[in-house]
Amino acid sequence: MTINHHPPDELLADFATGRLDEADHLVVAVHIAQCPACRRFAGAMEHLAGATLEETAPVAMKADAFAAIVAKLDELQPAPRADVPPPDVLPDDDLPEILRRCRFGKQRRVAPGLKLQPIILPSAKQSRAFLLWSAPGARMLQHSHSGTELTCVLKGSFSHEAGRYGPGDFDFGDGDVDHQPVVGPDEPCLCLVAMSGDLELHGLLGRLISPFVRL
Amino acid sequence: MEWAELIGRVAVHGDRDAFRLLFEHFAPRVKGLLMKIGTDADTAEEIAQSTLLAVWRKAAQFDPSSGGAAAWIFTIARNLRIDAARRAVRQARADQPGFIDEADDVVDSPEILMTRGEDVSRVAAALLRLSEEQSRVVRMSFIEERPHADIAESLGIPLGTVKSRIRLAMNRLRDLLDEST
Ligand SMILES: [Zn+2]
Repeated sequence: MTINHHPPDELLADFATGRLDEADHLVVAVHIAQCPACRRFAGAMEHLAGATLEETAPVAMKADAFAAIVAKLDELQPAPRADVPPPDVLPDDDLPEILRRCRFGKQRRVAPGLKLQPIILPSAKQSRAFLLWSAPGARMLQHSHSGTELTCVLKGSFSHEAGRYGPGDFDFGDGDVDHQPVVGPDEPCLCLVAMSGDLELHGLLGRLISPFVRL
Repeated sequence: MEWAELIGRVAVHGDRDAFRLLFEHFAPRVKGLLMKIGTDADTAEEIAQSTLLAVWRKAAQFDPSSGGAAAWIFTIARNLRIDAARRAVRQARADQPGFIDEADDVVDSPEILMTRGEDVSRVAAALLRLSEEQSRVVRMSFIEERPHADIAESLGIPLGTVKSRIRLAMNRLRDLLDEST
C-alpha cells in the first residue's frame, strides 16, 4: 500500500500527547496503524514528552499526599486489562483491528449510493466518528464547516482538488476547505470520518444527510 | 530498577513499595511540569495525585515495549489536565465545587503508545541525532505548549522566525526518522 497523504505534524503531536478528542484520535490511530513514517513520528513525540517529564524540576507534593492516595487504593483494585467483547456483527468484513473493537450505531442509508454508520465513543466530546460508504463514481457531499474533518480511507478511493486518496490516506480539512470529493469509478469507497463543529452541507444530498451527521 | 519493572510489579502484585517509588519520582515532576505550563499549584497537586492513582489503576494496561514509563505517565497527566479544564468550564457555569475524577478512559486506548520493536530503536536513534536546539524548540512548542512569543524570548530569536524554526525542526525529525535504520 502506498500512502501519499498524511496528517499534519501538529495533529500527530496532539495525538501522541493525548490532546485529541476521542473521535479524532481514532481516525489518526487508524492511519498510523498503516503508516510506519507517522507511527515513528508520533513515537518520537511520545519520547520527547517522556524526556520532558523526566527533566522537569520536581515540585514537592503536600506532606500528606502519599497517605491520601494510599487511603484511596484500598477502595480500588488495579483495573484488569480492558477486554472489550467484539461486536456481534461488524459493519464490514475487513475493518482495521482498532475498529473491530468499536461499538457501532445503526447503519442508515442516507441517500442513493450513500450509507453512514456512527461509531459509539464513550468519551468523545466535540467530534463524532462514523463510517461512510459511497458508491463508485458518487459525488460526495460538498460542504464546509466551522470545525475540522478528519478522514482515513479504508477501501476504494476518492479525489478532490488536493489529489487522489486511496486506502490508508489521510485527509485533513478545516474551516477553510470547501471541497467536493468524487469517488473513484471502479469500486465503492469506505471511509472513517471524524467531524467537529457545525457542518454546512450544500445541495439536496446535504439536506438529506445533515440530520444523520448531527449525531 | 527500571520504572517499567515497577509498574509491572504494581500490575501483577499490587506492590505498594514499588508504587511508593513511582510516586516519589513522578508525582513531583508531574506537578512541576503542570505548573510550568501554567496550572496553579493546587490544581497541579490534585492532578498529580490523580495521575498516580491512575498509574495504580491502569498499571496492567502499560505496555513496556511502548514509548516508556515517563511518556505513559505524561499522557495520563495531560488527559487529566484537559479534563480538569473542561470540568472547570462546566463548573463555572453550574457554579458548583467539584473534585477531579481519577479516570478518563481515553488514556486506555492501547493504540496511543504504539512505538514497538524496530520502531523504538529507530526513534531513539533519530532523536539522538536531532540537535539540542531543535529538540528544545519542538518540546517547547508541542509538549510544553508555550506560546510563540515565549519561545522567541527563550531562544533570543525574533518572533517572526519561531514558526519557521519549528517547521525546520519538525522536517529534520521526519528526515532522521526516515534515514535511521
Ligand atoms: Zn502517515
